Amino acid sequence: MLYYLIVCRSLTYAQRTAAALERAGITARVLRSPKSISGEGCSHSVKISQRNLPDALRVLQRAGLSPKRIFITAGDGSYQEVAL
Amino acid sequence: MIYLDSAATTLQKPEGVARASAWAIGHLASPGRGGHRPAMAAADAAFACREAAARLFHVEDPERVVFTFNATHGLNIAIGTLAGPGSRVVVSGYEHNAVTRPLHRLKVDLRVARGPLFDQAAALEGFRRELDRGADLAVCTHVSNVFGFRLPIEGIAALCRERGVPLIVDASQSAGCVPLDFQALGAAFAAMPGHKGLYGPQGTGLLLCGMDPVPLLCGGTGSESKRQSMPDFLPDRLEAGTHNIAGIAGLLEGLRFLERQGVGPIAAHESRLIRRMGEGLEAIHGAEPFLAKDPAVQTGVLSFRLARRDCEEAGELLGSRGFALRAGLHCAPLAHESAGTLDTGTIRASVSAFNTEREIERFLQAVRELS
Repeated sequence: MLYYLIVCRSLTYAQRTAAALERAGITARVLRSPKSISGEGCSHSVKISQRNLPDALRVLQRAGLSPKRIFITAGDGSYQEVAL
Repeated sequence: MIYLDSAATTLQKPEGVARASAWAIGHLASPGRGGHRPAMAAADAAFACREAAARLFHVEDPERVVFTFNATHGLNIAIGTLAGPGSRVVVSGYEHNAVTRPLHRLKVDLRVARGPLFDQAAALEGFRRELDRGADLAVCTHVSNVFGFRLPIEGIAALCRERGVPLIVDASQSAGCVPLDFQALGAAFAAMPGHKGLYGPQGTGLLLCGMDPVPLLCGGTGSESKRQSMPDFLPDRLEAGTHNIAGIAGLLEGLRFLERQGVGPIAAHESRLIRRMGEGLEAIHGAEPFLAKDPAVQTGVLSFRLARRDCEEAGELLGSRGFALRAGLHCAPLAHESAGTLDTGTIRASVSAFNTEREIERFLQAVRELS
C-alpha cells in the first residue's frame, strides 16, 4: 500500500501533527523516519494513507502546522520527495 | 501524622499518581529513543502531559512546555538565558534562593522591589520604581513560599510588557494552587515543580517558554543526531538526556486530577483552611500568625511564631506530636528579611487539596497545648 510520510522537526511536533489529523478524522501514526529521509539524522514522521494527503495538508494549514518535508513510498521500497 | 508541609512537597497525591509511575517503570521506555511500542507509549504519555499542562496554563503550543527536574532547574535555564554579569535585574522582596543564588552567581546588578508583607500595591509600586530606573530583566515569585503572599503578578507583568522588560515567573507555590494564565502574562518563562501543587512525583518540573532559551545541558535528544549543536526547536533544545518518564506519567495523573477538580475550588478550599488556621492561632496566647487581612492575597501557606519558643524547637515538638511542618528560613532569607523574621525564622504550615478542617482543629489544639 502506498503511503505518505510527513517528516517533522521533532517528536513532539510529529505528535501535534498526528493529533491535529486524528481530530479531523484522518488516520495518522507517528513513527521514526527511515534513515534515508531523516535529514540531520533521527527524526520522526507522520504516516498517512495516499488518499488523505490533500485533506491532511488542508488540516495542517488550518492548524498552523508546517510539514518539514513529505515523501511517498515507491514500489521498490524507496521514498520520493513530494514538492510542497 | 497530619501533613502540613505541602509547600515543600505534596505528600498526599491523587490515587492514580503512584499507580501511573509504578506502571511506567515496567511499561514505558524512552520517548524518541526507538520506534517500538514501549518507546512510543512513553512518547504518548509525555505528549499527553505537555498537552494537559498547556491547557492548564494557557500555553498555545505544547512544544513550549518543557520537562525539567524541578522548578530550580527551570529557573536556572531561564535566568541563564536572560541574565549575565552586570545585567540589571529586578526581583520581589519574597524570592527563594532558587532565584537569588543563580543571579548572585552571575554577578548581576540585583535590585529588590521591596514592600511590606501582604501589600500588593506596595509590591507593584516597588516594581514600577525599580523598572523605571532601567532594567534588563525582572524575576518574580507568584506566591511566597514562606508566607503564601500572592504577588500581583498580572500587574507586574503588565509593567514589564509596557517597558519591554522580559519577566520570569517563579510559579513554584502557585502552579495548581491558583490560576495562572501564561499567555495573558506574556512572560518570557514560568518555572514550576511537578511535585507540589501539580501533585506529581518528586523529580518533575515544567518550564513554560515564551521565548527561545539557551540550553543548560547538552546531549542526546533523539533528534538531528548528526548535528553537534543542540536542536534549535523546543522541547528538544532543553531536554537532553533520558526523560524521567515514570515521574512524567505520575505528573500527568496529577494534572488530570487538577482538571477534574478545578484549580479555583482547590484554591478556595486551601484558603478556607488557612483562614481558619490563622484565626485560630490569633486566639492562642503567645502565637503570632502572619495572616493577611485580605484573604485574596494569601494562599494555602501560613507562617507563625510562638513566643519564647525557637522556631526549630517548636517545629520539632509539633513533629513529635504528629504534625509535619517546616521551620527555619525556608531557603528564602530575602522573604524573611522583608517580613522582619530573618533573625527568628518562622514555623510554616501549608495545606493541599487533601487536608481537612478537622486536621486544622487538631493542629490548633496541639499548638494550644504547646503555648
